[in-house]
Amino acid sequence: MRISLQTRVRRWAPVAIAVLGLAGCKGTEQAATTAGPADIGGTMVISTATDAGTMLPVLIGSNLDRQVTDLLYDRLADISTELVTVGDRGFKPQLAQRWEWSRDSLSITFHLNPAARWHDGRPVRASDVRFSLGLVKNPATGSAISSLVTNIDSVSIRDSLTVVAWFKMRTPEQFYELVYQIPVMPEHLLANTPPGELKTSDVSRRGIGSGRFRLAKWAPGQRIELVADTANYRGRPKLDRVVYSISPDAASSVTRFFAGDADFHEQLRTDNLAQLAKDTVRRLMRYPNLQHAYLAFNLVDPANTSRPHPIFGDRAVRRALSMAIDRRAMLRNVFDTLGQLSYGPFPSKLPVADTTLPQLPYDTAAARMLLDSAGWVMGPGAVRVKDGRRLEFGLTVPNSSAPRKAYSVLLQEAFRRIGASVKIEEMDFPSFSAKQAAHGFDTEIAAYGSDPSVSGFKQAWSTEGMKPGGFNFPSYSNPAVDALLDSATVTFDFARTRTYARRAFEMIMEDAPGVWLYEPLTLGGIDRRVRVGDLRADGYWATMADWWIPADKRSARDRIGLRPTP
Amino acid sequence: MRRYLAGRVLQGVGVVLMIATLTYVLLHLAPGDPITMSLDRPGVTEATRAEWRRAYGLDRPLGEQYLRWVAGAARGDLGYSYSHHRPVGDVIAEALPRTALLTGLALLLSFGVGIAVGVLQVERAGGHRDRWMGRVLLLLYSVPDFWLALLALLLFAYRIPVLPAGGLVDPVMYEYLTPSQQLVDRLRHLVLPVTTLTLLTSAVIARYQRSALLEVIATDWMRTALAKGLSWRKAVRRHALRNALLPTITLAGLSLPALAAGALFVEKVFSWPGMGLVTVNAIGARDYPLVTGGVLVISVMVVAGALLADLVIALADPRVRLR
Repeated sequence: MRISLQTRVRRWAPVAIAVLGLAGCKGTEQAATTAGPADIGGTMVISTATDAGTMLPVLIGSNLDRQVTDLLYDRLADISTELVTVGDRGFKPQLAQRWEWSRDSLSITFHLNPAARWHDGRPVRASDVRFSLGLVKNPATGSAISSLVTNIDSVSIRDSLTVVAWFKMRTPEQFYELVYQIPVMPEHLLANTPPGELKTSDVSRRGIGSGRFRLAKWAPGQRIELVADTANYRGRPKLDRVVYSISPDAASSVTRFFAGDADFHEQLRTDNLAQLAKDTVRRLMRYPNLQHAYLAFNLVDPANTSRPHPIFGDRAVRRALSMAIDRRAMLRNVFDTLGQLSYGPFPSKLPVADTTLPQLPYDTAAARMLLDSAGWVMGPGAVRVKDGRRLEFGLTVPNSSAPRKAYSVLLQEAFRRIGASVKIEEMDFPSFSAKQAAHGFDTEIAAYGSDPSVSGFKQAWSTEGMKPGGFNFPSYSNPAVDALLDSATVTFDFARTRTYARRAFEMIMEDAPGVWLYEPLTLGGIDRRVRVGDLRADGYWATMADWWIPADKRSARDRIGLRPTP
Repeated sequence: MRRYLAGRVLQGVGVVLMIATLTYVLLHLAPGDPITMSLDRPGVTEATRAEWRRAYGLDRPLGEQYLRWVAGAARGDLGYSYSHHRPVGDVIAEALPRTALLTGLALLLSFGVGIAVGVLQVERAGGHRDRWMGRVLLLLYSVPDFWLALLALLLFAYRIPVLPAGGLVDPVMYEYLTPSQQLVDRLRHLVLPVTTLTLLTSAVIARYQRSALLEVIATDWMRTALAKGLSWRKAVRRHALRNALLPTITLAGLSLPALAAGALFVEKVFSWPGMGLVTVNAIGARDYPLVTGGVLVISVMVVAGALLADLVIALADPRVRLR
């Protein structure tokens, strides 16, 4: 059945208007008046389909782990909303009241806030900072953060409130690496547990940090309850309580949100948005993110990764296939008005992103000519052939992602039109991940969530990122790009960082190791009574302690107050 | 009898062991592992992955991992769940009673309703009531469980929001309610899933019960009972029903595993964190110990249920002899 354009416009118009209206807000969700003293309090319930795995930031593995531990634990300083990672520009004090750089920039002295306390009442001390770095760097801990802090040599204690961080090299992101990647954890609670046993010990579930929220209760598989730390040195949060209500799967989680059992649900599907547009109790909430999705061509042979791929090893073939894809039409087909084209091999919210870079045009005639000149001539069954090999390859997608599944069908059809035969391989996420990590695919639709730094980006496109554990799944290797990315990470001049990164992006796009498909619009749903402030692309929850519910909008669960959990 | 029991138990142990082994091997043959799932993000080095694999013993050969698991299971230690970050025994101990409560209540109600409906139909066999009830039962029998569950959810939790959308209890308010209010809250959360399961299961039981009763009422002794002046209703309820219960008892025995395995789709739709859901989610997370532990518990229940059904039939019907 074909749906007319008018019908589609009518169906999606309210959603589109809502989304476009929000797009204009650029990070700030609502021009709300500020909260008055009477507006302190209230409970926000977040419906989620996953449970946390740990309450210890050094062990985090999932998005929810990070979200909850970010709310429970403070860092020395916090990054700005613009996410600038060079120097200490824009960083706001947290546990450190102030800091001083040494003349050679190889050390930074941090002065801790004497009022900072752990949630058990003990003061936060310099020894906690030194202990936290040691825990992150200890291989027995098995921390995912350890590879991000290799430039930090050590932390020494000058007195109980003064620490000095020592670095191996002077780099533009040394401050960011220390304060953003290292959450400060309580030595007095963790020191008695061997790092190798932390994963399975009870202490990793207690969540005693120094953040503005403290952990009240964690009922595995059911809920995580955080309450306001009323004596916090940075001031109590405006909300009394944040409850993560855990559902066993995404569909149930969404249903609970729409049934009014929860106030917030992140990442709603497009089919929920039309329903939300008509809702008088809930509204759409768009929040920025650092994700993008692309079609990756594997440049090495999956059967023997030391050899180039028999099809995609040829740059001309990759460019031809890229030119066969009408990215804009596909985006509309899959997301209607709710998608955003990807601008290149980077998320557009990355501080070094350049959204003006030219991409290969959609031109099927040119694509056919390129394939002809590369020796791929039309053979039987309308599939091109070269040296007896048919232009046939697999396209791997995880069956958990509806957009990627939809894209795979559209890509299959686009490639068929220029004489390439694609076999779609849908698989569950663990199988997809294993295949991806082993470079065992022909093509795949990869979705990548970056961190805000250029060094994070290097893991995806530098030769170094091809190593096990790296994120260069297409095995793209270009010494010139490596050099540019290296330069981008060592210069202290942010304008030059952008210039180097821009040139690296351009070169990657010319080599076409992938086709930059889309950036998912992260659209959540939130109860209209909840007021939200600035949102950060590395995590919307970063400002949650300042979200509030006006006194005249309170429901029964808002009025529980700060009674201790029985 | 003892010899029979010993033989069946031994047979059961063999079946359970075989199922556990097959599950363990098949799960490990699938691509990916728990570490791939939990550490798939930037910054994770191969050294970190290796450290996690070592910490959980996943770097050992499959045979060794299996033997360690069997040795642990024999001591009652089913291992550590990677996805729940707790011992498997704790996860199962938490999920099993929830499933038992849900399916137990639903089974009790289903058998009550199913048998009653079967009797009501046979009392007027071929009549208006029988035909009308038959149609409703056929409809319920044909409806997919997830569809009925979703319909109930949409109707009573969303369109007419009189019941909660899912979960065991209210995620926020429960802790702050009085004991009596807590009981009411728990019961409200049970209404939709139990009703859905009851409707689905009672349709099957009623159809079995009706067929069995129709066979029994055609026997000579029923004719004799009626000839002696017993009313049709009394003859059916006092004599035919007891004799027609054997297939239903078999069905009850075979339904026992559901107490452990759960009703996956109903648990999923109503966010009921029971055994079915825990096990299926564990498969997605490649949580080997939890899947194997879950399958082990479910297979023990299947074997025990079948044995129990045989024993009850022997007790109910003197013609049956167990050898």
